[in-house]
Amino acid sequence: MLRASAAAERVGYPSVSIISSGFMKQAAVVSRGLGLPDMAIAEYPGVPMVDSDEQLRRKVEDELVPAIIRGLSQATGTLSQNEAVAEPAPRDIVFRGTLDEVNEHFQRNFWADGLPIVPPTLARVERFLKFTDRAPDEVIGACPLANRQATVWNVAVNGVMAGCRPEYLPVLLAVVEAVTDPAFKVEDAGSTPGWESMIVVSGPIAKALGFNAGQGVMRTGFQANTSVGRFLRLYLRNIGGFHHAPEGADKGSIGQSFLVAAAENEEAVAELGWQPYSADRGFRTGDNIVTVQSVVAISPPTYSGSENAEEHAALLADVIGQRTCGYWSAVGMVYANWHPLIILGPSIARVFAKDGWSKDDLRQYLYRNVKIKASLAEYYAWHVGLTGFRVNEYVKNGLLPAAYGESEDLEREIPVFQRPEWIGIVVAGDWGRNQSRAYVNNHIQGPPVSKAIRLPGRWTSLLPAA
Amino acid sequence: MNAPMPPSSDGEALFEVVWPLGRSAFETRAPNERLADLSGVTVAELWDYLFRGEDIFPIVREKLRERFPGIKFVTYDVFGNVHGPKQTELVADVPRLLKAHGCNAVISAIGA
Repeated sequence: MLRASAAAERVGYPSVSIISSGFMKQAAVVSRGLGLPDMAIAEYPGVPMVDSDEQLRRKVEDELVPAIIRGLSQATGTLSQNEAVAEPAPRDIVFRGTLDEVNEHFQRNFWADGLPIVPPTLARVERFLKFTDRAPDEVIGACPLANRQATVWNVAVNGVMAGCRPEYLPVLLAVVEAVTDPAFKVEDAGSTPGWESMIVVSGPIAKALGFNAGQGVMRTGFQANTSVGRFLRLYLRNIGGFHHAPEGADKGSIGQSFLVAAAENEEAVAELGWQPYSADRGFRTGDNIVTVQSVVAISPPTYSGSENAEEHAALLADVIGQRTCGYWSAVGMVYANWHPLIILGPSIARVFAKDGWSKDDLRQYLYRNVKIKASLAEYYAWHVGLTGFRVNEYVKNGLLPAAYGESEDLEREIPVFQRPEWIGIVVAGDWGRNQSRAYVNNHIQGPPVSKAIRLPGRWTSLLPAA
Repeated sequence: MNAPMPPSSDGEALFEVVWPLGRSAFETRAPNERLADLSGVTVAELWDYLFRGEDIFPIVREKLRERFPGIKFVTYDVFGNVHGPKQTELVADVPRLLKAHGCNAVISAIGA
């Protein structure tokens, strides 16, 4: 809401923003990031979602309304316009010490993620920069909430810290291009669902850099998958300000730890005659790309055993569709944007292909066969805090497809998956088992965004020497 | 580990390290001047359709009307859900809507 207030302030209107107590720290980071650190705030004490009507009225009358009046009628700060803040230049040495001392310093300043970091020395950063033709000071984008500039230089610095190898830099740069694309809405990466960003690496570069696409694809252990996944969480903490209490903007209520980067088993996909995930994302087969999307929950390991494609589809619809995605589909509806991703085991993909199913056939099956009652969707959404959501109004306003409005009866069943083409399918995991898994997207916060990986001109000579 | 520095007195390698953050991508400014009196002003309500704003805004209206004669409200439904599917477009349109509705001040809610 501070973004709406800031839009008003920028064109001359005084504003006050109502913020509940638990969001006050985040509000301070957001305000600073918007360049308006002294924006007027009226605090709602406590948690409105658990207050009785009577408690809510008393709090509004006794505390909120006086704070609103103060916010609109009394000056809140003394900052002069465009006040400059002195900060280190990229090559400035900000600390000197032993490995332990460096780690202590970084943890104390909220520049690390709780794990030891590799000290970002100038020499290490420069080794990374050999793997791009881009200028170190190139600004890739801004990274709200803290709203700091994402540059080639600080991508390399954080890559060093996360334990990446220098040759991963082109992948890291593409990842940062994806998350700073306004479509990704990285400014909401600190929302209470505590979503994590999931990276999928596609193309021959995945194999060249040693990304695991097979058994244990989402397990820590492979340096490429693990350090690239860690890098993104670390980068969002440092450049976006998404570290948790007491100072940060990460409001994930319970949260989850970072996800290692995934890669698709493109050899298996080619054998099946299916197109790879990169082509699903609008690129050419064989292009090196990354795709980043939010993940708010992960399904159970979903086992399906049959020589018949439809039996696999039915089980996936039940466990991944109904039981895993059903609940969060309501939140996806509220934002009219939702892209669950399925990692489909290679042996299961083979059964689908044998029976003539494409990825699109599976998507269509899930779209047609997984439903939820409209009343249940509103019920789930209300409890999340989305108290203004009404399915029928959304249909009337064109925010949900016509399939959601076949009647106005709230007991009618509506699709869990909003559009079949929004279901991502990546073939990966253990070829020797029959398991799949779903990665539930949050919604408008972190839809899949894909970017090409730009390799340096001397890539083929640099890589073997790395 | 790369050790560009001489070792510390106990023989451990020393590291000179750089800053992992980036320059701020914004310019800082103060909020606008406040209103001396809310009587007779038109207040815009911007709501993200979250956290019981449908219960909170009516009470806010009621109490402000009691205290400030002539205060008017452009209610949140006029602006739409500024945190919903069309949030980017709606927030960008806020300046035009405030002008179009003759607003003098904004209350936005709820969250951060």
